[in-house]
Amino acid sequence: MPITTTRRRLLAGSAATLALPAFARAQGAVKPRLTAISQWSAGSDGAAITALGKKFEEKGGVWQHSPVPGFTTEMMNKLRAQIIAGDPPACSQLKGPEIAAWSKIAPTVDLDSIVAAAGYEKVVAPDLAKLHKPEGKWIALPLQIYSTNMLFLSKRAMDKAKADKIPVTWADFNDLAEKMKAGGVTFPIANGGTRADDGQKFEASLAGISPAAYRAAIMNLDTKALEGPEIKAAFAQMRKITNWMDPNVGAQPYATNLKRFVDGDMGMMIMGGWAQGVLRNAGFKFEDFVIAPGPSDNGKPVFLLNADAFIFWQRKEPDLQAGQALMAQLVMDPAIQTMYSQITGSIPVRTDVDLSGEGWSDGQRRTAAALKDAVANNQAVLSLAHNMAQQNGLTAAMIDVFTEYAKNKTITPDQAVTRLAEAVEGSR
Amino acid sequence: MRDKTFVPSRMLIYLVVILFAAAYLAPLVVVVLNSLRSNEEIAQGSMIGWPQHLAWGNYAAAWSGFCVAETCAGIRPYMLNSALVTIPATIFSTLLGAIAGYAVSLWRFRGDNWIYGIVTLGLFLPQQMRLLPWTIVLRDTGLINTLTGLVLIHTIQGLSFTTLFCRNYYVAIPHELIRAARIDGAGFFRIFWRIILPLSAPILIVTVIWQFTHIWNEFLYGVTFTTGQQQPVTAALIALSAAIADIPQHGVQSAAVIIAALPTLLIYLLGGRYFVRGLTAGAVK
Amino acid sequence: MTEIVSTATQAGRPAISGVVGRLPEYLMIWVPLLLSAAHLVSFSLWTIWISFSPSTLVPVTGWVGLRNYNAVLASRNWHIAFDNLLLFGSAFVLLSLITGLVLAILLDQRIRGENVLRTIFLYPLAVSFVVTGTVWSWLLNPGIGIQKLVHDLGWTSFRFDWLIDRDMAIWTIVIAAIWQSSGFAMALFLAGLRSVDADIIKAAQIDGAGPVRIYRRVILPTLWPITITVVVVQLQFAISAFDLVRALTNGGPGIATQLPALVVYDLMFQRGQLGRGAAAAVLMLLILLAVLLPYAAWRYVQRRRATHA
Repeated sequence: MPITTTRRRLLAGSAATLALPAFARAQGAVKPRLTAISQWSAGSDGAAITALGKKFEEKGGVWQHSPVPGFTTEMMNKLRAQIIAGDPPACSQLKGPEIAAWSKIAPTVDLDSIVAAAGYEKVVAPDLAKLHKPEGKWIALPLQIYSTNMLFLSKRAMDKAKADKIPVTWADFNDLAEKMKAGGVTFPIANGGTRADDGQKFEASLAGISPAAYRAAIMNLDTKALEGPEIKAAFAQMRKITNWMDPNVGAQPYATNLKRFVDGDMGMMIMGGWAQGVLRNAGFKFEDFVIAPGPSDNGKPVFLLNADAFIFWQRKEPDLQAGQALMAQLVMDPAIQTMYSQITGSIPVRTDVDLSGEGWSDGQRRTAAALKDAVANNQAVLSLAHNMAQQNGLTAAMIDVFTEYAKNKTITPDQAVTRLAEAVEGSR
Repeated sequence: MRDKTFVPSRMLIYLVVILFAAAYLAPLVVVVLNSLRSNEEIAQGSMIGWPQHLAWGNYAAAWSGFCVAETCAGIRPYMLNSALVTIPATIFSTLLGAIAGYAVSLWRFRGDNWIYGIVTLGLFLPQQMRLLPWTIVLRDTGLINTLTGLVLIHTIQGLSFTTLFCRNYYVAIPHELIRAARIDGAGFFRIFWRIILPLSAPILIVTVIWQFTHIWNEFLYGVTFTTGQQQPVTAALIALSAAIADIPQHGVQSAAVIIAALPTLLIYLLGGRYFVRGLTAGAVK
Repeated sequence: MTEIVSTATQAGRPAISGVVGRLPEYLMIWVPLLLSAAHLVSFSLWTIWISFSPSTLVPVTGWVGLRNYNAVLASRNWHIAFDNLLLFGSAFVLLSLITGLVLAILLDQRIRGENVLRTIFLYPLAVSFVVTGTVWSWLLNPGIGIQKLVHDLGWTSFRFDWLIDRDMAIWTIVIAAIWQSSGFAMALFLAGLRSVDADIIKAAQIDGAGPVRIYRRVILPTLWPITITVVVVQLQFAISAFDLVRALTNGGPGIATQLPALVVYDLMFQRGQLGRGAAAAVLMLLILLAVLLPYAAWRYVQRRRATHA
């Protein structure tokens, strides 16, 4: 049953964008309405998007958010089904290079005028901005930023190791882990065994060793870089990390280790900033752990970026168009970004938001400072494990290598390097 | 009639049976226990354990309290959706399967074996292969994001199974019975209503139980082809599973699992005997 | 036999004038069957068509020859999945058959509480695959499940960490799958056992045969047709067991428990490579046909033998 011709033209064509009618014009005329799809049905993400919806309604709009239970795949299935049915939502959650890929299959909205009016581009990290303007025009707006390579240290484990210095380089990190082991911490690393977690271990290792190598190999897929010594060193570091983990963790998420982490039975975690919220919601206190930027061998902070975004799909209905304009304004608003990030534990996309006020944790302040620093030093890179650096197909193929490497201790770093190169070749 | 002295050592038999029963009951026990422990207790403790105090609140939260993004109505509305899809789809697929089984086994027509072969081969077609084609079909019939669309999908897909079972049951019915009725002038449907259907109770129970269970527990189509408040209960259960940025809510999740499984559990509890009987009554070939 | 069938068919063919009047009747007979057959055939053809196209996120037209098939066949994921399917498929079908038979024989011994026990062995059928996978992932996890329980009870050298062991993890899926579906095998076998003619057994007993011999020579051979049905249904379960595996191991540890159904879903929907996913699905169908066609041929031969007898 082939798709009909008109749809085929639509789908096979390049990203056709349509400028939104100016917000002022639409404002008086129509009640803004927004249909949205996301995977944020529960937890702090669910709470945050619900709060955003309330703000939308406060401004006079009709909020029709349809959360898709499950993970990103289920949400993408739903989005795909809607697009094939010719009925895409007015906006949907999407991130990273997938924005560029999906924008080729259905027409999106050109947000340039709205973005320019809000002066948004000036306050967004350039690497991040590029992802949301695949053909040079803004079609999606980032909503919140996480770092995926934060270092979490258990206070009690630090005491056991009789250490008080926060590790800065990987050498420091390895030293501390050894001290912890000697001091009676059963497993110095509290990470989990999910696919994303295994990806995080590798990318944190590589980015900490050399952000330049990370950018060349992982983001730009440069063949020479993929065969370079930094990759091998990253795998070696990753092997050290997995050897310090609980072998029984299997494919469980890190959340199952939190109690032991806080109790000092496990020492450190390399995890994204969202773990702060998880720890807090699980009843643990901020005094129990320390947050620091992930290890970086050249002393300056490295930031592995993970950012959620909303993409706007072309709709003919004037109320939906008005809703899209309103939504875009809200997403770029510093007050809204503050509210959103305070609920989820992320940091705002805007670099000009002041985090010194109440409602922000030290961890968030440190993360924001690290982001600023990293951008200034060109050490802010895109996370592979969270689908920011490459499209899903290639990412999954590379994570296959990382997760096998993490679970199979007999694979040597050399072999892993070869497998990674093969995975990249096979997915081109 | 089996003679009691037939069996060598009854102690051994009882022992083995009890071991097996314990193994089969273990998962249920774990979930029930977890449903009575609070989320924090499970998060701070371990997945398997005795409740320190009974958290009945989990059931209240699961039934009408927990939130799926904006809506905090618990699992109740989703149970209704599941019922609205499962009951019609079960009835239609069973009825149509009986007619089809009868047509293929007793009425006979040209190419019936081919059709039957294709329909039963359909049992093996993986569901992933059907997702996108169904999307296109639902789009072209305007049924996307409707419960009717789900009923259509489950009815047509259920035909594979119901036809298989009904046909295998009906082949045991003697052809003379049909021939006599035909000679008396009875048509296809009169024979069906008067002769076939009354004889079908056992196999219909089997197919109803099987279909109800499979449709009620189905997740993939339920999530993709419905939206928001129309989703079936399986979708709501997944919403309770931990996302990466959240602590697992295993207590409430376990309570929700129990509630969601009650209809199918009850069916097997009450209908289990008929299930076996129904399989006895037909020489299932 | 042939004579009766042909007479029935002749008597059934209606006169042309009667067709219109009986249109609703024909619709009810033909439409569901045709819809079912049509959707199966068309969906399969559609998938085959897509497997030769460069589809990524959405289906598109185009022809890329065997490129998708080559990519799938070259991937580690597929090799591991294929091997796992053979291992898991045969182990699961065989073991669930044996388990079902053993349970049925046990229940057949007129023990007390048979109704309760039957319900206990049947209820797993009522549970959804996702729940089964999730709960068994807790039970089989060495850190929180059975191994930990046994350790806490004192036997600290007990090991049951298959779930995280790359070589043994596939057996955890076998365990969970048997728990879920052996009740069905048991029900079928129990039905078969109960329908064996009591007189034959009495006769064998009078002849002095012991219980084991009676089972082997008299009862079990009559279960042959039921065994075939159980094998077919369990095979279908093994091949399409997707939700269960996803919830239990998600293809892990690493990619050690990949199965074709997971690879298809992963390629099609997770990785946005519809063409490759479709190719993997077609390969899956070919594997299925390789098993089913011999069975169908055997049944065909059997039927011809019966009608010629």
